[in-house]
Amino acid sequence: MSAAPAPPGAAPEPLAAAPFPYEGPAALREPIVAALSRVVDPEVSMSIVDVGLVYGVGVDAQSVHVRLTMTSAACPMAELIVGDAELELDKVVPPDLQIRVELVWEPPWTADRMSARAKWIMGW
Amino acid sequence: MDGRPHERQGQMDHGMVNAARAIGRGAARPPAARMRGAGIARALFGALAGLSLVAGVAGGLWRLGVAVPDPRLFPWSGQVLLVHAALMICGFLGTVIGLERAVALRRRAAFAAPLACGTGAWCLAFGYAGAGAWLGVAAAACFFAVNAMLVRRQWAAHTLLLLASAGAWLVGNLLFALGHGGHAVLPWWFAFLVMTIAAERLEMARLMRRRPAASAALYAMLSLLLLGAAWSGAAPRMGGLIYGTALALLAAWLLAFDIARRTVFSQGLARYMAVCLLGGYGWLGIAGVAWALTALGWPMRDVALHALGLGFVVSMMMGHAPVVLPAVARIKLAFGPAFYLPLAALHLSLLVRFAPGTTGETLRAAGAALNAVSLAFFAATMAAAALAWRLRHGAAGAREFT
Repeated sequence: MSAAPAPPGAAPEPLAAAPFPYEGPAALREPIVAALSRVVDPEVSMSIVDVGLVYGVGVDAQSVHVRLTMTSAACPMAELIVGDAELELDKVVPPDLQIRVELVWEPPWTADRMSARAKWIMGW
Repeated sequence: MDGRPHERQGQMDHGMVNAARAIGRGAARPPAARMRGAGIARALFGALAGLSLVAGVAGGLWRLGVAVPDPRLFPWSGQVLLVHAALMICGFLGTVIGLERAVALRRRAAFAAPLACGTGAWCLAFGYAGAGAWLGVAAAACFFAVNAMLVRRQWAAHTLLLLASAGAWLVGNLLFALGHGGHAVLPWWFAFLVMTIAAERLEMARLMRRRPAASAALYAMLSLLLLGAAWSGAAPRMGGLIYGTALALLAAWLLAFDIARRTVFSQGLARYMAVCLLGGYGWLGIAGVAWALTALGWPMRDVALHALGLGFVVSMMMGHAPVVLPAVARIKLAFGPAFYLPLAALHLSLLVRFAPGTTGETLRAAGAALNAVSLAFFAATMAAAALAWRLRHGAAGAREFT
């Protein structure tokens, strides 16, 4: 693990280039984006980042906090996708940081959240 | 890895947040007692759904004169033969769909629905018809409440449609418990299944660009379906015509707007699922035409019921099993091209079953037997895929997933 967490009290670093709102040390941005991009929504065979299910990631001195949604509240795969996200993050996040994945329903997911690649695949 | 114990916050509903949890690192495993409890629950629900499926299939075969297994070996074979549809639709599919929805809601009480309908199916199979039917009503009422909670969580067209499908199941189960015949009950039971699938496909269709009128057309077709179901009890001819028309129109809608049109060009599991879906839509269209022709007096009842129940619904089930089994039963599967074999067997066996039309009863029975073989083949393929995944990932991977 090369990336280190920000020291306690350090100002979070907003990032415009990430495919979702990210606040935290720059060194962790890329590994976290890559980790979440490896989590696949099996129904459409696209990553949860491309489908736009990741609402945001915040990293502080204690934890990595990910806010995830699903396209449907009736989706039985939520637990599975959350588990996959935890497993992928576990591979890249420094061991002293706790991983917290939160499933949220507000704001509701819309197709506007899909990446350009996902929209291309779906024929937009 | 510091090996701190797994720290879960469990279910925390605050505002619109459904659940949040935090894991310590390197020890992401629930306590042993909880794992044991979950294992027992999975075995119980597996037994409930499994017996319904096996008894339902046996009853269907006995109806067509296929004496495999030998009905004389089972004292309840006469009863099982009579409740074939209830075992398949309520006992098996109702239990599986109830489980799927309970897992989505993440409330322990939501598992009362699949528990009640699975237990009700056992009662039906062993001759306690009244208790079985009313347990089915209780199951559907509970399932309706579960879906109402999901609507509260996400007010959207597809969650409202799921609620409507639960309502259709409740009506069907009430009519069944009150002693109404298949012409009144079956349209509601199939409306439950068809609307459940339509709602899930509508949800996925949001990933594709479509005209606003497409959604309105879908709601109109599903309203027509419910109208046909309601009419079928009082006026089977008109009701059947409306119902069949709605099914055929729905097939056209799904073929035009489902994301399977796109994902069929992807790879692996997504492509397999798309093939299952598109094949199923073809059978849905055939079922719609056959349903309407049956209402007009044509001898196509077997085609109408089984193109719908096996061709459409079981195709959907085969497509979704690789993603639903990991989510519901915590069984991961290694996907491979072999998945296409039982799917092809199902579709070919349906062709055998329906091809002779009105003249070949022997061939129809052979087709039905091959339908059953296809289901067994599918179950064996899933078991082999689960074993392959375990071999590939080892015991550690299996524990991590449990």
